[in-house]
Amino acid sequence: MNDRDIQVFIACVQRYFESLKRDVTVVIEPPFIKDEEKPFLEYTGIIGISGKAHGAVCFTANGVMLESILSFLKEAPIDRNLICDLVGEIANTLSGNAREEFGRDFLISVPIVSTGKNVGFKFPPDCRNYVIPIIWQGEKAYLLVCLS
Amino acid sequence: MKLLIVDDSSVVRRAIERDLESGEITEVDQAATGEDAVRLYGAKLHDVVTLDITMPGMDGLTCLDKIIEINPEARVLIISALRDKATAIDAIKRGASGFLCKPINPPELREAFKLLIED
Repeated sequence: MNDRDIQVFIACVQRYFESLKRDVTVVIEPPFIKDEEKPFLEYTGIIGISGKAHGAVCFTANGVMLESILSFLKEAPIDRNLICDLVGEIANTLSGNAREEFGRDFLISVPIVSTGKNVGFKFPPDCRNYVIPIIWQGEKAYLLVCLS
Repeated sequence: MKLLIVDDSSVVRRAIERDLESGEITEVDQAATGEDAVRLYGAKLHDVVTLDITMPGMDGLTCLDKIIEINPEARVLIISALRDKATAIDAIKRGASGFLCKPINPPELREAFKLLIED
């Protein structure tokens, strides 16, 4: 992973949030590396990556942000199942969009959704965790890129 | 006109249905898996199918092959997060009528749908 690879994911995040509503700005803070404890929030969508790279891409957010996105998508009533569906779909969209740069051999799994801080996914031990902080509508989320 | 929406995400299925709501569509079916999509398509031969690729079980491209086997004239619009050109070209070669990338842009989706039904 290098700076250029991280820029690919930042562009995917930008595109996703701009597609929701153009007049609501998404702020992407400078990415950082956090190898010890991954900053999981209430809901996490995990995409396993294989082929050209190995590891995972995770989108993690609190319920408030996900409920706001569902409202933008005109979903009502909103329940926990919809929130889990959405967090998985966002992770899928961000990872799948990255194939524009990484190509077809960047293989993505179907989403795995986890709730709470303890995420039951075996991350490769040899990967660094790049964290991209995202602020949308005053709420924070993270895109975690953990790839070798 | 009968529409079949295939995507493992219920949020996406409903968003597509809302975006395409019009007087032309008289019946909408939804499927969350490729297997269900093939079964539904075989039974009803929908006029248009929107089809995701990354799904549990049967993936969208295999599902596309099976739909084309049932009806070589099927009108299938792929709507996928997979933004690489090779996948789009592969889907078109296998018989898809169009390819749109997620996140869904509603005007673009309506335009693609319009072109498909005018074809």
